[in-house]
Amino acid sequence: MSAWSTAARYARLSWFLGGVGLHRLTAYRLDFLLGAGAFLVRVGVQTAVVGLVFRQVPVVGGWSYHEVVFLLGFSLLPRGLDHLFTDQLWELSRKLVQRGEFYRHLVRPVSPLFSLLSERFLHPDGFGELIVGAALVGWSGSHLDLDLTATQWALAPLFVLCGALIHSAVKLLFASLSFWTVTSLPAMYAANQVSEFTSYPLDIYHPTLRALLTWVLPFAFTSYVPCTYLLTGDTGLVVWLPVVTAGAVALALAVWRRGLTIHDTTGS
Amino acid sequence: MIVAHELVKEFKIPERRPGLAGSLATLFTRRHRVVRAVDGVSFEIPAGSRTAYIGANGAGKSTTIKMLTGITTPTAGYCRVRGIEPYRHRQRNARSIGVVFGQRSQLWWDLSVPDSFRILRRIYDIPDPVYRRNLALYRDLLDIDALGTTPVRQLSLGQRMRAEIAASLLHDPAVVFWDEPTIGLDMVLKEAVRELVNHAHRELGTTVVLTSHDIADIAAICDSALVVDRGRVVHQGSIQDLLRSADRRAVLFDHRDPIAPDAACAIVEQGLPGVRATVVDGGRVHVDYPATEFTSRRVLAFLLERFDLADCYAPEPDLEDVLRQIYGQRRDAALREVDAA
Repeated sequence: MSAWSTAARYARLSWFLGGVGLHRLTAYRLDFLLGAGAFLVRVGVQTAVVGLVFRQVPVVGGWSYHEVVFLLGFSLLPRGLDHLFTDQLWELSRKLVQRGEFYRHLVRPVSPLFSLLSERFLHPDGFGELIVGAALVGWSGSHLDLDLTATQWALAPLFVLCGALIHSAVKLLFASLSFWTVTSLPAMYAANQVSEFTSYPLDIYHPTLRALLTWVLPFAFTSYVPCTYLLTGDTGLVVWLPVVTAGAVALALAVWRRGLTIHDTTGS
Repeated sequence: MIVAHELVKEFKIPERRPGLAGSLATLFTRRHRVVRAVDGVSFEIPAGSRTAYIGANGAGKSTTIKMLTGITTPTAGYCRVRGIEPYRHRQRNARSIGVVFGQRSQLWWDLSVPDSFRILRRIYDIPDPVYRRNLALYRDLLDIDALGTTPVRQLSLGQRMRAEIAASLLHDPAVVFWDEPTIGLDMVLKEAVRELVNHAHRELGTTVVLTSHDIADIAAICDSALVVDRGRVVHQGSIQDLLRSADRRAVLFDHRDPIAPDAACAIVEQGLPGVRATVVDGGRVHVDYPATEFTSRRVLAFLLERFDLADCYAPEPDLEDVLRQIYGQRRDAALREVDAA
């Protein structure tokens, strides 16, 4: 099979399985509403906290109120895009290896990673994050009188895509640890918590944490780095974005592949 | 068709020491115990056969199935399914095999069975005529429609097994591996599965490899048996041949003679020394004789001569007894070897 027809096949399957994901939404309406409600409360509180802080001070770490809301909103976009496609990684880290249920992804005529992820394509929470993120970005952008250049407009979707890939890579990496440790939920949860830091300007954190968020768990590249570029036109670290994305994805895939070979030696 | 050559699988089990100090120590030192689950097994399973893969507990049956389905890579040796080493070409192999692991579901737990089938149809690129034909077949034989829109996680074990069996055959695989499917509990299901297997065998020449603890399942589905004990194939052939290798056979009879049941037993045991006769319910006499010393002809001739028989039949030997006998003999032989050395 040529690479082209393979890609076409996966695209067709993704389209179909996306439909299955949406269909699931109607079957589990209450789940969806609870999830959506909890998510809106969370983002509402975040925005309110930011608002409260800015009642006391006009500028935080060199960022104005609307700039921080822009950053908060933008950070939701790659997170949402990632959420649409890789939510099943939580199941891998939580129980699939532990309960010996992972095997089924190895006996299907598609790549095991695709098989795993496609069990939960188009997670509704992802749509929520995308919509709310876009709304916050639009609202704060209009208050900022943001005037993006053509290049910035062209790059913005790529920033979201790369940011989503970074989120996916970190999740894949920590979920794959479960092949060695049977369950890796605490580690994956911790990494997810760390990613929350990037909803706010990195300037307010200690340099150590800043370095960690930039070069170890490179969540800074999902929102802070591209937002700095979009808001100020200052390229800064943004040139590193493709490199960091490629590196994170390559590392995560390598760990995943190694994990697949380790998986069978535990006798589970 | 299916070939295993000197197949070995070893697992590393981390050594755990008792107590809190022990578990802390386990965290920092990596000591492993190597367990050999499959110990140099070689066999061939011909295409189109329905083979029961039989072995004592801990003979590595499931591990062998995992290697044949590509889930696990052998530590040494190799196996091939239709010329492919499954663990090297998982996706290619997956197209031509169907799998049921009785303990674990391969269906989408929060979707209905028809939804799961629709997904499988896409994943396996099942042509429309094949898909429709198989669905019609399952409707008739497995009553799949009755499962309706219930999510898989809410199905009973029997219902889920129906769906799992159907799912494993949906894409017309050349080989199906059924590892401990739970079908024996449900007589209707067992009949239906037998029918399905016969159908697939007749129309498509499907090869079936089954492991099961339930002898009734084996007898219902399989025509041949591959008995493995400690890595060696100790019997390969038809289930009938396996049964014929039984060292004890039995005859049950009813008679019209005016004597007490105990007296009848005594007559049999005196006339045929070495034979055990017992009274079973309904006053019938159960005659158990060593097949090595008596032919069934001699036993029956004796009974016909001494009794006015009203009814007489010879049941199939029990597969479990036969297996116990095979494992027992091999164990005795092993012990003798140890003694001699």
